[in-house]
Amino acid sequence: MASSDKKPYFAALRIHLANSWMFIAFFIGFFLFWEYAVVWFDIPRYILTPPSLIVEKGAADLDRLLYYTYVTGLETVLGYVVAVVLALPIGLAIAFSTILRRTIYPFLVCIEMVPKIAFAPLFISWLGFGLLPKVIIVFLVCFFPIVLNAILAFNSLSEELTRFARSTGASVWTTFLKIRLPAALPQCFVGFKYAAINATVGAAIAEFIGSDEGLGFYIQIVTGNMRPDLAFAGIFFLTLLGLALFGIVTLAERLLIPWHISVRRTAH
Amino acid sequence: MSTLIDLAGVTKVFGSGTGAVHAFGPVDMTIEDGEFISLLGPSGCGKSTLMLMIAGLLGITKGEITLAGRNVTGPQTDIGIMFQDNTLVPWRTVRGNIDLQLEMRGIDPASREEDVEELLRSVHLEDFQQRFPHELSGGMQQRAAFCQAMVHRPKTMLLDEPLGKLDAMTRENIRKDLQSLWMQKRPTVIFVTHSIEEAIQLSTRVAVITPRPGRIERIIDIDLPFPRDFDVKSSPEFTAYVRETQEIFRNYGVI
Ligand SMILES: Nc1ncnc2c1ncn2[C@@H]1O[C@H](COP(=O)(O)OP(=O)(O)O)[C@@H](O)[C@H]1O
Ligand SMILES: [Mg+2]
Repeated sequence: MASSDKKPYFAALRIHLANSWMFIAFFIGFFLFWEYAVVWFDIPRYILTPPSLIVEKGAADLDRLLYYTYVTGLETVLGYVVAVVLALPIGLAIAFSTILRRTIYPFLVCIEMVPKIAFAPLFISWLGFGLLPKVIIVFLVCFFPIVLNAILAFNSLSEELTRFARSTGASVWTTFLKIRLPAALPQCFVGFKYAAINATVGAAIAEFIGSDEGLGFYIQIVTGNMRPDLAFAGIFFLTLLGLALFGIVTLAERLLIPWHISVRRTAH
Repeated sequence: MSTLIDLAGVTKVFGSGTGAVHAFGPVDMTIEDGEFISLLGPSGCGKSTLMLMIAGLLGITKGEITLAGRNVTGPQTDIGIMFQDNTLVPWRTVRGNIDLQLEMRGIDPASREEDVEELLRSVHLEDFQQRFPHELSGGMQQRAAFCQAMVHRPKTMLLDEPLGKLDAMTRENIRKDLQSLWMQKRPTVIFVTHSIEEAIQLSTRVAVITPRPGRIERIIDIDLPFPRDFDVKSSPEFTAYVRETQEIFRNYGVI
C-alpha cells in the first residue's frame, strides 16, 4: 500500500527463499530422480520419458503446442468469464429474494451434486466438435462454485453491521455499495479461485471427449501414438494455463481486497 | 430537565410457542434529557436487548417506548450507537470508518472535516486515522468505534459494553475521556456495562438489572460530584454505592 514497500519486499523475498529452500531442493531432486530413474530402471521410452527429452521434443513441436494452448485458453477464459458474469447477479438475486431462495437455490444445490463433466458427451453430441460445447462445459464447472459462494457471501453479513446500516437510515442501494458488497468480496473470491482451478480441467476433459484441436485433444492423440514425451509437454502447457488463470484471479483479489486477512497473510 | 425516553411495560419474548424465551421485562422507566444512565447487570440479563429496542432495531413484544415524544416503531436515526461488537469495517481506515457513518447518511465527509478532526483529537487518535482497524489495539479500536458512532453529532448515545473486552488500565483511561466528553457536551447517554464500579463512576443513575427474565430491580441515583476522579472513587460514599449494588446482586444469587 505505502510507497516504502520496496525494501521490505526484498527482505520478504529473502525470508521466503530461506523458508522454501527445502522445497526447491526437493523439487529439483524430484526431476533429477525422474531423469535418472528412467535410465536406471530401464523404462521403455513409450511408457515414460525423462524430463530432458520432454523439453527437447516439446520444443520441437512448440508451434502446435502454443496454438493448442491458445485454443484451450480461449475455451477456458470464455467459459470462466461467462460463469462469473452470470453467477454474480444470479447469486445476488437468490441471496436477496426469499422466493428464489426457496426454489432455485435448492435446485442449484441438487445440480451441484451432479458431476458436471458427465454432461460433456451430451453437449458434444448436441453441439458438435467446435468451441461452444467446451465453453459450456467450462461454464458449468465454474458456475456452481461461484454462485454458491456468492449466495453465502451476500447472506452472511454480521448482525452488527446489518444493524449499523439500519441505524443510519441509509437506502438499500447505499447499504449494498458501502457495506454488503465489500463485505461479500472475500467469500466471492473463494468461489472465483475454486472455479479458476477447475476451469482447465473442464476444458481438457471436454476436449478428450470430442474435438479436433486444443491441448486435451493433443494429449489424447500423442498418447495414442505412444509419445509420452509430447503428452507431458501438453500437460505442462495445460498446467501453465491453469496457473495463469489462477494467478490473474489472485492478482485481482490482491487489488480488490488488500485489506482481507487471506491477502494480508500471503503478502508478508 | 425533561423526559427524553419513556419505557412503558416494555417486554421482549424471543420466538413463540414452547420455544419462546422471555428475555426481558415488563419494565417501566423514564430517562431524562442529559443524564448518564447505566444499565448494569450480568451477561444474558437483557441489556443489549433493551438497548436495541430503544434504538428501534429490535421489535418490542409488549409495551411502548417513546423517544423525544415519538413512538419508537422503527430504526431511530438521530442517535449514536456503539454496538457490543464494534462495527469498524476492515476495508476502511479509521478515518474511512468514521466517514462511513456520514456517507451512509448522505453527508459529504469533506463538509465535516473539522468535526472529524476534533473528534479524533478528543479520543487521542489523530495520529492513527490512516491505520486500518487490524493495526490498532483493542482500546484504540473502541475509540475509533466511538468516533464512528458519534460523528453525526447525536444528542443521545447508546453504548453497549464499549469497554467490555479491554484490560483494566485501558478501561480506566477511556472512562476518564468518556466522562470529560460527557461533562463538556452533556448528551444523554445510555451505557451498558457489567462492571459495578464502572457504572457508579460514570453515571448519574444506575439501573440495576436482574436476570431471567431481565427486570430493573432498582434505579440508584449516584449523588457524587463530577469529575469522578481517584479521590471520589476512594471516598466512603463511593464505596457505599458499590456495597449497595453488590447487595442487590448477592440477594439475587448472581454474585
Ligand atoms: N435472537 C435471539 N433469540 C433468542 N434468544 C435471544 C436472542 N437474543 C438474545 N436472546 C436471549 O435473551 C437474553 C438476553 O440477551 P442480551 O440482551 O444479549 O443480554 P446481555 O446484553 O445483558 O448480555 C439472553 O438469555 C439471550 O440468550
Ligand atoms: Mg449484551
